[in-house]
Amino acid sequence: MRDTSFNFVGGLFVGVLLLGAGCHKEAAPTAGPGAAGAPATAPAHVDGTAHTDAVEGAWRTAGLAPEGFAPLQPVPYGASYCEQGRVQSIDTLVCEYRDQDALAKGQAGLMDQWGREGGHTGVAYHSKLTMIAVVDRARHDPNGKIIHQVIDTFRKL
Amino acid sequence: MRRVLVFMALLLSLTGVAGVAHAEVVQYISRHPIPKRIGHGFCDIDVPHFHDYPPSDPRLYRQVDGQYYFVGDPTPFGYDGPRYSFYGPHPIADASVQLGGPSYCYLNGPHFHWYAPPPQAQFEMKGGAYWYVGGFDPVFYSDQPRFMVVNDVYAPLVYERPVIDVAIAPPAFHAEFLVGGGPGWRFAPGWRENPGWRGPGPGPGWRGPGPGPGWRGPGPGPGWRGPGPGPGWRGPERREMVMREHHEEFRREEQHREWDRGHDRGWHGGPPPGHELGGPHGGWRGPPPGHEPAGPHGGWHPGPAPAAHAGPPANGGGFRGGGGGPHPGGGHGNQFHR
Repeated sequence: MRDTSFNFVGGLFVGVLLLGAGCHKEAAPTAGPGAAGAPATAPAHVDGTAHTDAVEGAWRTAGLAPEGFAPLQPVPYGASYCEQGRVQSIDTLVCEYRDQDALAKGQAGLMDQWGREGGHTGVAYHSKLTMIAVVDRARHDPNGKIIHQVIDTFRKL
Repeated sequence: MRRVLVFMALLLSLTGVAGVAHAEVVQYISRHPIPKRIGHGFCDIDVPHFHDYPPSDPRLYRQVDGQYYFVGDPTPFGYDGPRYSFYGPHPIADASVQLGGPSYCYLNGPHFHWYAPPPQAQFEMKGGAYWYVGGFDPVFYSDQPRFMVVNDVYAPLVYERPVIDVAIAPPAFHAEFLVGGGPGWRFAPGWRENPGWRGPGPGPGWRGPGPGPGWRGPGPGPGWRGPGPGPGWRGPERREMVMREHHEEFRREEQHREWDRGHDRGWHGGPPPGHELGGPHGGWRGPPPGHEPAGPHGGWHPGPAPAAHAGPPANGGGFRGGGGGPHPGGGHGNQFHR
């Protein structure tokens, strides 16, 4: 069991400092670790692993309802290509990686972020060089039936 | 304006959300029951994942690198997927997980799991169930006092257990024989059908009659004063055994209710009194042939002496998550290690 604390006081102090400095940058997209170092080039699919669109297509075929999937830029979690959307109203991320090392780091970074943020249920699962991450923040799927189907469909690709 | 914003933010930080917000992240390796306070039922996710709640009852879990693996029978918790029948303790043979060494299911008698043992594992399918016919690693015995408490969880539960004809247990099966009153209960093979029972004798304090004809095990333990069995000895009356078992179940049920009242609010501590290591539940609870109610708690353990595990354990290797390349159909491609 890991019991992670997130100190809001500390977070607010950072916010205060940013406000004090007159920082007016737009909030970063839901990018986590890896976003800062993401390449400036346009994201590209990775050959030899399931592409994001194929994953979404498989979910659609399985009767799930992927919606709102759009590429993320900068690409988060050290991936080469990522799309974020929802499957049956559950936040879902699909990322393609160039190699196993990048994938392992990206997955660890994602888990770190979830550890700080929390959530009702979260799963990060990969097959070859494609990782899917599902986080149920609003208890849409208390018994994990949808998430199980999402994972199961993906691993059959 | 900037000063006002700074002041407001500071004020907010000191008043509104002063203190620390906890984001609890509890990691599970596979499926598991959902605590009542969360909504009850069964979580179907069969790969490593996290929730924001701890397990309802730690006796049903094994912890591997901080992650919980449910080791019980999922049936009474609302699991509705495929399931396979087992009889008696056996190595956990869930091919989709790696538990970092030999790990055992300590459930007595007939029970279900969501996995079938892989073909190379030393199980024999007979009478509608898988029987473990291999050797037990020493860790099976050393962990037994700690993990046998899983039976206390199931004893009071009324649910559909597998119906297994133990009369045709494989000859190589030598686990502890449960005499329980569950729906799947028939008769312990060492009591009726196996007059050639070869298990060790009862423990200290034994006062019951001796084993049946053909007994080849060691004699009863110190303090044994009972008469020897007659030629037609068939073990105690079933009615008598069931009554004893019911008495025991009632006691466990009371304890379980107490426990349930506690864990329903979210378990954060150890097991209830009486579940401590080496405590009164540490070992055999089914009565040996003809023993008196006060007998078994001394730790009578029929079965083989600790022996080297014959063949590689089904789950060796350790769940480490991450890396390792593609694992289609498996749950290995995930990691919770930071």
